[in-house]
Amino acid sequence: MRLWMGLSAMMLLGCACAPRSSTPSQEVLRVANWGGVSDDSDFAKVQQGLYEEFERRNPGVKVIIEGVPGGEYVSKMMLAHIAGATPDILTLDASSSALFMNTGMLRDLNTYAEHDPEFKLSDFYPNILDIARRGKNLYAIPNDFTPMVVYYNKRMFDAAKAPYPRAGWTFDDFRAAAKKLTIPGKQYGFAFTNWFPGWIMFLWNNGGDCVNPDFTQASGYLDSAKNAQTLAFLRDMVDVDKSAPSLSQTAAAGVDLFANGQAAMTVSGHWSMVGYSVAPKGPDGKPRIVLADLGVAPMPSNIGKSVTVMYESGYAITNRAKHPDLAWKFIKFMTSHYARQKLNKTGIAVDARIDVSTERAKDPLEAMFLPIIPTARPPYGTHIEGFEMVETQAQNAMDAVLKNGRDPQAALTKAARRVDQELAKRQIPGVAPK
Amino acid sequence: MTAARREGRLGWLFIGPAFLHLLVFALIPIGYSFVLSLYRTRMIQPERAFAGIDNYTFALGEESFRNALWNSTRYALWSVPLGIVVALAVAILVNQKLRGVTLFRTLYYLPNISSGVAIAMIWIYIYLPETGMINTGLHWLGITNKTDFLSQVEWAMPAVVFMSIFTGLGPRMVLFLAGLVGIPPELYEAAALDGATGWRAFWKITLPMLVPTTFFVLVTSTISALQIFTPIYMMTKGGPEESTDVVGYHIYTEAWVNFNTGLAAAKSFVLLAAIVVISLIQFRLMKNQLQGYSAA
Repeated sequence: MRLWMGLSAMMLLGCACAPRSSTPSQEVLRVANWGGVSDDSDFAKVQQGLYEEFERRNPGVKVIIEGVPGGEYVSKMMLAHIAGATPDILTLDASSSALFMNTGMLRDLNTYAEHDPEFKLSDFYPNILDIARRGKNLYAIPNDFTPMVVYYNKRMFDAAKAPYPRAGWTFDDFRAAAKKLTIPGKQYGFAFTNWFPGWIMFLWNNGGDCVNPDFTQASGYLDSAKNAQTLAFLRDMVDVDKSAPSLSQTAAAGVDLFANGQAAMTVSGHWSMVGYSVAPKGPDGKPRIVLADLGVAPMPSNIGKSVTVMYESGYAITNRAKHPDLAWKFIKFMTSHYARQKLNKTGIAVDARIDVSTERAKDPLEAMFLPIIPTARPPYGTHIEGFEMVETQAQNAMDAVLKNGRDPQAALTKAARRVDQELAKRQIPGVAPK
Repeated sequence: MTAARREGRLGWLFIGPAFLHLLVFALIPIGYSFVLSLYRTRMIQPERAFAGIDNYTFALGEESFRNALWNSTRYALWSVPLGIVVALAVAILVNQKLRGVTLFRTLYYLPNISSGVAIAMIWIYIYLPETGMINTGLHWLGITNKTDFLSQVEWAMPAVVFMSIFTGLGPRMVLFLAGLVGIPPELYEAAALDGATGWRAFWKITLPMLVPTTFFVLVTSTISALQIFTPIYMMTKGGPEESTDVVGYHIYTEAWVNFNTGLAAAKSFVLLAAIVVISLIQFRLMKNQLQGYSAA
């Protein structure tokens, strides 16, 4: 992560210098994304190849990718907006999209989409398109998305003679499976990490939530008795069953325990498959996990119907874009069937294009995602500006419970109070609440 | 034009570039921040409302800001005295007339010419729970349970303090070294004739003669301790459970993560006021001690 930040900084420096070296006749298209440092992954290679192809197809155009470390992306883009220096294209993460959509930073893409005979909105899943809609306005064309799912290692389940997880399983089933799959000192049943976007679904599936429906209050929601029960449930898996590693053990391991063949289950998005496909090798020279070992199941649920969250990314054009028409051309190319099927093959996510994801679903592993998709809701960040603040407080509560033995109810009450204080700070007297 | 006026004009020309820099990058932003601190305003909303001192009263009553003030106080109370004691000890060590002592002086100063981010990175590695230098060292000493220093409430702040002793060592050591070199050797010779050497000479001559230096180091170290940001941003992000959420980092989050510009500005001025008050108290306390010395 830190190395990544350093590399990104170097890349930014490169970006800052690049336009100067371009000839005056060149049109420079600035595209911002998080991360964006090219690594050796297939995804990065394919992406880079597509940028170059776009440049070849449009002589005189130079695509500059401005990668910003994930944690800084929102602040940096907002600052660029205020300073009038936004890039032409913003990669929009659904989880932080509310801020960008609500502050007039983005262009309505309907005007482009409707007047372009080469482009069809009907190529995309309508509910995925809706993530970036506000009223009639459409602020982004989606690339891909992923529901959060339970990954399980079939080989480990077979070895323990445990049945594979299946739709309709409950928290108790999940806990029992994790317990059964634990081999002390060797293997955990469930690799848990304290990352709120990765465990908010546990709250939902136990009948809890974190904010009220109009997004103005966390007290009474985040600190509900149901949520305290959920935190206690996860804590007990760590402390009582020892079927999940403590947070320090996870940190100490320094690797993805699931990818490293040290955990039988984990919760993550489709993007993890990129890592699983190049999992670390064991002493026998074989990868510790291969895609054929993988199974995908919906989140366990105590409410009768499994619910999950769907993380999504798309391309948006900023209001201050210097080359909006060229930006549209770029988006059209990058979201075309041609480009998407190349990118999607790398396993990054479920494609927002119906044709591409249907073709991909011929793969049985991909097919496992499809029934889960309808149970996924957009993340709160599509509606709550700066939802990261709720995430931080919830993670603090989980830290307090797991690392410092605090009472779940007390920890959540504190977190909810903090969230409410933050929400109150956003109110400007005489201005209608947002 | 009289000679005096010409000279005055020349003077302005000389300080002009520096003053312009100060004006554009410090004075105007400070003034503007003060104006902002009087408004309920958010960077991402065009509306604003005049709030008078509301931001200040709100900040002072806010649980998380008070926690940040307390964290900064804790940090300063630990890191400043420890930093001074260690720097003085090292300065005395490198003040010995030994071969190669300049090499050690350089080595101790080296962290200060490196980037704060790079140093914080190195310390992250030093504190790593499994493979870090400290845990490995403790393992050799027979302490086998690994501590995740940066993510445990009881360890995170001590870990940051411990690091600061070394990272802030360079300039303090140089100042003490200058102070030590400045002590007239006759004092030690006279004391030796009277039979006072070693510890006695240290307590009766070295320490009193270093009072102005110590005072200077105390004030500057306190100010920089209250402004600490980089290691927190890099290593703990204010966590775990806000136990290292110091004022500098808290203000950064308020402004650039939560976009509460007016409130963040008010909090900055609270920090400024705290630094001024603490420095004044230090000046007052040391005033008597400094009688007879020229300003440090």
